[in-house]
Amino acid sequence: MTTSTSLAYLIALPLAGAVILLLAGRRADKWGHLFATALCASSFGVGLYQLSQMMAAAPEERAFSQKLFSWISVGTFNVDAGLLLDQLSICFVLLITGVGTLIHIYSISYMSHDPDRRRFFAYLNLFIAAMLLLVLGDSYLNLYVGWEGVGLASYLLIGFWNQKPAYATASKKAFVMNRIGDMGLSFAIMIAFATLGTVSFSGVKEASESASTAALTGIGIMLLVAAAGKSAQFPLQAWLGDAMAGPTPVSALIHAATMVTAGVYLITRSNFIFDAAPTAQLLVVIVGAVTLIFGALVGTAKDDIKKALAASTMSQIGYMILAAGLGPAGYAFAIMHLLTHGFFKAGMFLGAGSVMHGMNDQVNMRRYGALRKFMPITFATFGLGYLAIIGVPPFAGFYSKDAIIETAFNAGGIKGILLGSTALLGAAITAFYMTRVMVLTFTSPKRWEEDQHPHESPILMWLPMAVLAVGSVTTGYLFTRGDGLVHWLEPVFGEYGEHEEFLPAIVVSGLAITAVVIGVAIALVKYQFSEVDAKAPENVTEFTLIARKDLFQDSLNEALFMRPGQALTRLLVKGDHSVVDGAVRLVGRTALSAGSELRKTQTGFARSYAALILIGAVALIAAIWVVTQ
Amino acid sequence: MEFIAPSLNYAQLAPILIVLAGALAGVLIEAFAPRASRYSSQLFVALFSLVASFAALVRVRTQTSVDAAMGSVAFDGVGVLLQGSILIIAVLSIFLIADQESFTALAASVPGSEEERDAVQSDLRVTEVFPLTLFAVAGMLLFPVASDLITLFVALEVLSLPLYLMAGLSRRRRLASQEAALKYFLLGAFSSAFFLLGIAYLFGYSGSITLAGIQASVIGGAGNDVFLLLGIAFISIGLLFKVGAVPFHAWSPDVYQGAPTAITGFMAAATKVAAFGAILRIFYVSFANAEWQWKPAMVVIAIITMVFGSVVAIAQRDVKRMLAYSSIAHAGFLLAGVIALSKTGLEASIFYLFAYGVATVGAFGIVTLVRDASGEVGDLNRWSGLGKRAPLLASAFAFFLLAFAGIPLTSGFIGKFSIFSAAYESGSTSILIAGVLSSAVAAFFYIRVIVLMFFKDPIEDGTSVVIPSALTTITITVSSVLTLILGIYPAPLIDFIATTATFIR
Amino acid sequence: MNALTTMMLLPILGTLLLAVIPNDQVLRIKQAALATTLLVAASGVLAWFNFNAADTSFQFVQSVEWIPSFGINYAVGVDGLSLVLILMSVLLAPIVVLAGWNESEGGRWSTKVFYMLILVLETMMIGVFAATDVFLFYVIFEAMLIPVYFLIGGYGSGDRAAAAVKFLLYSLFGGLLMLASIIGLYVISGANGGHTFDINKLSELHNYMSSTTQNLLFLGFFIAFAIKAPLWPLHTWLPDAASSATPGTSVLLLGVLDKVGTFGMIRFCLTLFPDASKTFTPIIITLAVISIIYGAFLAIGATDIKRLIAYTSISHFGFITMGIFAMTTQGHSGATLYMFNHGFSTAALFIVAGWMAARRGSSTIADFGGLQRVTPVMAWSFFIAGMSSLALPGLSSFVSEFLVLVGTFTRYPVAAIIATFGIVLAALYILIPVQKALHGPTTPGNENLPDLNFREKIAIAPVMAIIIALGFYPAPLLNVINPASAHVLEVQGFTDPTPSEGAGK
Repeated sequence: MTTSTSLAYLIALPLAGAVILLLAGRRADKWGHLFATALCASSFGVGLYQLSQMMAAAPEERAFSQKLFSWISVGTFNVDAGLLLDQLSICFVLLITGVGTLIHIYSISYMSHDPDRRRFFAYLNLFIAAMLLLVLGDSYLNLYVGWEGVGLASYLLIGFWNQKPAYATASKKAFVMNRIGDMGLSFAIMIAFATLGTVSFSGVKEASESASTAALTGIGIMLLVAAAGKSAQFPLQAWLGDAMAGPTPVSALIHAATMVTAGVYLITRSNFIFDAAPTAQLLVVIVGAVTLIFGALVGTAKDDIKKALAASTMSQIGYMILAAGLGPAGYAFAIMHLLTHGFFKAGMFLGAGSVMHGMNDQVNMRRYGALRKFMPITFATFGLGYLAIIGVPPFAGFYSKDAIIETAFNAGGIKGILLGSTALLGAAITAFYMTRVMVLTFTSPKRWEEDQHPHESPILMWLPMAVLAVGSVTTGYLFTRGDGLVHWLEPVFGEYGEHEEFLPAIVVSGLAITAVVIGVAIALVKYQFSEVDAKAPENVTEFTLIARKDLFQDSLNEALFMRPGQALTRLLVKGDHSVVDGAVRLVGRTALSAGSELRKTQTGFARSYAALILIGAVALIAAIWVVTQ
Repeated sequence: MEFIAPSLNYAQLAPILIVLAGALAGVLIEAFAPRASRYSSQLFVALFSLVASFAALVRVRTQTSVDAAMGSVAFDGVGVLLQGSILIIAVLSIFLIADQESFTALAASVPGSEEERDAVQSDLRVTEVFPLTLFAVAGMLLFPVASDLITLFVALEVLSLPLYLMAGLSRRRRLASQEAALKYFLLGAFSSAFFLLGIAYLFGYSGSITLAGIQASVIGGAGNDVFLLLGIAFISIGLLFKVGAVPFHAWSPDVYQGAPTAITGFMAAATKVAAFGAILRIFYVSFANAEWQWKPAMVVIAIITMVFGSVVAIAQRDVKRMLAYSSIAHAGFLLAGVIALSKTGLEASIFYLFAYGVATVGAFGIVTLVRDASGEVGDLNRWSGLGKRAPLLASAFAFFLLAFAGIPLTSGFIGKFSIFSAAYESGSTSILIAGVLSSAVAAFFYIRVIVLMFFKDPIEDGTSVVIPSALTTITITVSSVLTLILGIYPAPLIDFIATTATFIR
Repeated sequence: MNALTTMMLLPILGTLLLAVIPNDQVLRIKQAALATTLLVAASGVLAWFNFNAADTSFQFVQSVEWIPSFGINYAVGVDGLSLVLILMSVLLAPIVVLAGWNESEGGRWSTKVFYMLILVLETMMIGVFAATDVFLFYVIFEAMLIPVYFLIGGYGSGDRAAAAVKFLLYSLFGGLLMLASIIGLYVISGANGGHTFDINKLSELHNYMSSTTQNLLFLGFFIAFAIKAPLWPLHTWLPDAASSATPGTSVLLLGVLDKVGTFGMIRFCLTLFPDASKTFTPIIITLAVISIIYGAFLAIGATDIKRLIAYTSISHFGFITMGIFAMTTQGHSGATLYMFNHGFSTAALFIVAGWMAARRGSSTIADFGGLQRVTPVMAWSFFIAGMSSLALPGLSSFVSEFLVLVGTFTRYPVAAIIATFGIVLAALYILIPVQKALHGPTTPGNENLPDLNFREKIAIAPVMAIIIALGFYPAPLLNVINPASAHVLEVQGFTDPTPSEGAGK
């Protein structure tokens, strides 16, 4: 492992930005956004420099590490503040800082009218720093710091307009559900320390070779819980939709391109655990498969453009998790889809932002329509992203998604067939709901009032969109050329040699494209070639209603956790006063009443006093007598 | 048979004799001195004799002998310590008594009668209280050193009779005061009877009236055990009555409340020292070897006393009654020292007696100062906001209460610690536990008073704190300072007690 | 002159200084108090740097005979554990004085008295951690109740008198149980090589005790500490006291005084009664886990910001107790570090909450709202403090909380797992008030609350700095704590469980 001295800058730069902007306060309002953007960009620059270093080095020397200082050291529990940059994390570093920089630029214009723009950029920088720490930490505990750091940043950004109570609630919801995931991560770390005696990636990897499956399964499952929380996977998915309360650039960066994919990072990073823990791995696949369908279904019924995209994000990450659960065969593809998705989904979110920008923050797609004429660039960039996500060759999504579907089938046996067909189904539904978004927004007849004056966004906004659009077109091809990405990542994930194919690749691609065509066709029939009314119709199928309610995810959580929890709280609050404290007060009262009772012996009559003495005398003699005998 | 002239060691009896002389002088003054000069001369005589007696005591403090008076008085370290404590407490109390405000003008007059009114108008004063006090003190000095039962009984009566009278001298609520005096007298007589009976049985048992003699036959185990246990029981009743141990306590709340506060303080403090002195001597010297017979019963009495005193005190609304019950509880704690039946127990008891006596006088001294138009205010609720009216006095009173509660940095804590550890060391765990728990209960009402004084606002009902006279001020200051010093640096006194406190037989 | 004795004397001198400043010169008084606390803090830091972490025996030791006949000494000295807590106390004191610059107004008594009480309390805070003589520890342990009692009852808000009494009685009760145990120790030590209170000598004593005796004595200590620290179900005094006291007092109460409980568990329960500690560990761990969850739920249900913070502390003390009795190096060091960190995060929460309440004239959470936009700096301070309270990684509490959890998991996985659910509840009990008080629309009446002024910023800045700095670099503290906690466990004969799998490194 090569030691490096410059990794810390990656994190230090944006972190400094956040600190300075927050401390400087209003003074920095004028230049804050530019400063933050510059820092993020320079962090990207450092990333590129590291990449060049890495390219220069031989494949086995490409992992750079940097030990800053010994963070926590108690007995055998030793954790360094150490960073690790390898072929896997560099992908994330570049994605985070690259897309991050674009979104900084976009936000300069998008947030220009907001009085708190400086604070917004401070949060963005904070997020970048935390996210980089997440992917650069060389131990699970360091990762944990970044893990909760991004949670904090996302909390702050979702609640950026927290003067709206609903938004404040949304941010709280996100944080709490993330904490449930984080709890999983804590458990994983505790088990790792208790069983393997270490929490560093290298240490765990080494120890895992001699560790029992039971221990590794435990760790694996807990890591999965963590991943589910962060990546909005079933059953911890409920927060993502509400997270759209945040400003759109946030949705693009955090809730599409980077943070929500942290779960995928965690699982792929822990490949050595899952490879040795088949049960955990199976659970990963199941969670992925369930979520990809779940998200897709929810997506079909959303009229809020951002929520539709959020649902799609959930579903796309389902694909990645699914891939990550397929072991060495899938890790690389999970990462590939993660990267391509980073481009096209971020692009589409920015597009959505641009649409909202032109439509006075209207988010209801039923009040859009025919925007193609008014915002051509947005239409173009969004369109390219659209083609990418539904997986039309040769756009990026096609390569990555196709690879996953293929690997799913190749998982073999019933499992393979089930997973493969699930993935296919997902592709079809994706095609359907994305087409729906596309049509309702851009190509169907206009449904907005006259007072709306749709207009194209300024260059600072459409330029990043354009760049991302380019990415959505090209990346897939670039990554797959000569299995470039797969080989690049092999040192991390291990070789994946020859394997028998369940179906020839070309057939799978054919099936995939067919699925897409079907999905698109249905959507076109339903929305392009038939009347769409400006308000959601009431007389719809049961299914639509359920889908609109996010398949009852919230009502379920409320019924299972929130209401019982609140009831328990009320109960304990009452009990603390009446039972616990009551007992204490009872003691006091008893003493008091005992006092006033005994007091009654004090009649004030000399005769009764004398009697008392007499009784006492008798008793005393009796006592002594008894003892003596 | 020929007559042997009694051989008396006057030096060792001097402390007692001086006080008696002072008392007689006081009587003469009452008889012959002109009314105008009585008060000052009485006060002078009283103080002088007490101080002189103390000086005499200091002179002979190192001597010890069994036959200071033909074997009837044992003059030893314990005696010196107890007599010293009694004298110091007596001086402090005299200062309070000197403030005649709380005494009736003419004890003989019928309450509310013409005669009384005249007496008040002509500003008569019951200066006879001084000789009475001295007589009581003399009795108290003799009580803990008496080494035969007859002397013991004489001493008991000498200290009791004046107290019966003094209890009735209150200026306000004279009827209550006189009632209290009468009760005290009746019940006192009753318990004295038991005491005498006890003497008789012990004589029957051992054929001797000297403590040493009884001890001898207890060791020999020759006599009839039934007589012994009856003797022990009856003697104990007489003594337990004086210290106000349950169930022989009933008189004390009424008397404490009825008596003039200065006298209450004197009784509460000095009588306890004397009576416990006697108890310690009898049980340590005579009954020590019959331990297994009386100890269980005594343990029970001690526990009942602590708990009863503490619990009932909670329900009190009158400061003097509250202090009365608190002193009952303390009697219980002190019995722990008797039960310990060890050197440490003895030392602990002596320290405790002195510390408690001093604090008690101080506390009652403050009670005399809280008054309204019709005299002292006993009702605790009317003490509320005292901290605002008289911060210093309130703080001092709070400090005494904390001492009673046994909070660290007060003499009370050292006393409690040493006496309980002595009890536990001698194996009575039950005493330790009961003591700790009743202390917890006791804390409750001490703190309630502090809350009243400091955290409640004054109620405007004419309750006020009078400017203390110089003498009262001295008493309160000395008591608080002693209480504090004994709390922070008790080592000198403890060591002195340790080196001095031994019984000779 | 001995470093610790000096630190204890300085506040006393400060008190005397205050005594001579006239009452009306309020500003002078405050400045004098601040100067004193700063001086003490400085000497504390100095001691910190002169401390040799590698040496696990007591340092800066001084022993002076106090009550020789009881084997009582004024003996002080620190190891890593007590030094950390002393440092915390002396650092908090000036912050409290500065933050609560005006909180003495509206009290029953003068500003002067307030700061005199604070300074006396500071002396005792140092002494209680520095005492290596059990008797001295107990004296301070009990005596320090009194100033707090008057601080709550005299300067607090709401039903301050009741809260003060509840606090005092609860603590006194515990203290008396401990007194019983101390007497037990004293007696046993007397039976085995002479009376002593020296912690080092007493730690050998358990070899001479029957397991029953040891268990009883252990309980006496533990219950006292469980009331202080407070552990469910002995916690009900804390919310009342903390919500009635002034913010500054609450900081000292939760931040320092309650730590005496957890400190005592390590210093006395474990050291003096190792076997009993093992016997009771399962029960105690259970109570600790209950406290964690229970406190968290009550915090979630709290409607008053101060009570909410008090309940969060109950949860946190659960973590500390769990860490102590997990008997692993991680658990122990984590618990000690937790004590330090909790001191500052709670201080931050309480100070800011106090400012909010003072500005709004109410501490009901519902009365706030939208403060983030009205008073950004105050809101941010509260938010960061809250994040530290929910143990956000990167802030100090995370390190300690995680160490406790990991350390517990290796020996008591189930307890650790249940406790970990506390971190989700923590998110709720912090974010709910954050949402209600800081977010949402500005509630009418709050539109023009003033933001923090310069003095307040100066007061809160160091707290924030410590919270953040120790989150990233706890090594300075851990280096001092580790040897101490390792030593305790070594004496206890505990070794950390070894990794069950693979070649752990």
